[in-house]
Amino acid sequence: MNTISIDFQKFLDWDNSPFILFSSSGKILYLNNAAEILFGYVSKKELYDLTLAYAPQTFGYKTTTLSLNYDSFSFYAITVGYEDEDQISIRFYNAPRIKSVTPIERDKLVSTDINLLLEANIALFKTKNTNTLQLLTDPDIPSFKIDQNRFSKLLRKTLDAFRASDSIHITLKLLVGEHVIISGKKKSIVQLSIEANGRYNDTDEEIHTIAAQSHITLLLKERTIKLEIPLIQD
Amino acid sequence: MEAFFTKSEQVQSIIKGFNLTKTLFVSSIIIGEPNIGKKSLVRYLFPEAPLVSGINQEEVEAALLEYDELIITDFEKLSNQESLNLDNKRIIATANYVGNQQTIDTLFAFIYMMPSFKERPEDTAYIRDLFIKEALSDLMIEESDFSAEEIPLNLNHNSKTLKRSIYKHLMNYSMDEKSIQESIYHYILKHLEGNNGYKEYLGLYEKPLIEAGLKKFGSQLQLSQVLGINRNTLRKKIHEHNID
Repeated sequence: MNTISIDFQKFLDWDNSPFILFSSSGKILYLNNAAEILFGYVSKKELYDLTLAYAPQTFGYKTTTLSLNYDSFSFYAITVGYEDEDQISIRFYNAPRIKSVTPIERDKLVSTDINLLLEANIALFKTKNTNTLQLLTDPDIPSFKIDQNRFSKLLRKTLDAFRASDSIHITLKLLVGEHVIISGKKKSIVQLSIEANGRYNDTDEEIHTIAAQSHITLLLKERTIKLEIPLIQD
Repeated sequence: MEAFFTKSEQVQSIIKGFNLTKTLFVSSIIIGEPNIGKKSLVRYLFPEAPLVSGINQEEVEAALLEYDELIITDFEKLSNQESLNLDNKRIIATANYVGNQQTIDTLFAFIYMMPSFKERPEDTAYIRDLFIKEALSDLMIEESDFSAEEIPLNLNHNSKTLKRSIYKHLMNYSMDEKSIQESIYHYILKHLEGNNGYKEYLGLYEKPLIEAGLKKFGSQLQLSQVLGINRNTLRKKIHEHNID
């Protein structure tokens, strides 16, 4: 066997899929850049427990297909392996981002002040519920093109998921430095985040469908719904 | 512009929602019991918009092709709801009930539920006073010392029964001796039969006489003196007519 040693670490460092090497006590011995970002959304303990749970019975490597979601990260498989008692590694496989196939229906897009639609939906919410809402919005968000009817439906359903929640916080802001590509063009992102002490998830599927039709990236979590809306102006 | 009065927070929120979306192309529907002011509210918010009724399906279809802004009343009466295209138009619909929840949910961005008068006591008092004014002028009754709060209001069918209970009360309140005799005459003409008529219909006169007397004079003793009958006779009659 060839004895030349090749240093693969740089390749691993820059791999787009998270890779972590734990010690037997759960300490992190190594993690690549992608894993570093992942740790912003999930605890070390949770990932270590996951690693142990999917470890092969004896020395070696085992790949398990599963569906994992941490915030906007989603993975379709993991490989867990160990060659001695001291180290164990886990690699996550990024799920491919599904590109929306629905074309943008430009004739339905009308330049709109998103705050209007949001406030009208809050008024609608208030006719049905007595929960208190806190709204933090950026009045400087410029008008941009929205399918007003469909977007209102999306807002209604999203807010309805919080119909029995307490301390509902709604935040509308422009995401600085983040972009999305729509029809080959870079667009800024407006993020609407609704957070409370809990929420219903009975309409998650419908919310998902409408968001996809509207080219809106949706993050559904136990207590939060985030909509990332492309700021289309032309 | 016609005014629309409401103190109900829910209705105020509906108005707020509409005021915000007035210039947008969204479809909205107001759902609530008949006769609670849905149409008046929409007319107040959109005084210029063309209006069609769901009773006439063809008219609705034609209007949808012609206008970008349209009021559709009696939406529940439309049998072809699924096939309507309300996209990119300003549609304001009203309906007495939901019908197919799924369809309404798909068609409309804003679905407002309007509370009935039973849930809006302050609005009821306002509309009661409006009706009283109208009734006083319609019936040509001089405003006198009656109190609006005393009118027993029937809200089972919202403004319709509310209006009727006011007219009825005011008619009763303003009747003179001749009118009372006339009503009794027509009532008896319609119902009198059998072989015990005298006793049966005596209650028409005796019951209100004793009830009003008790209210006015408080005690049976005093009333018997005012009526000039024996106290025992009065007691017997109270029992006979089940008066508390």
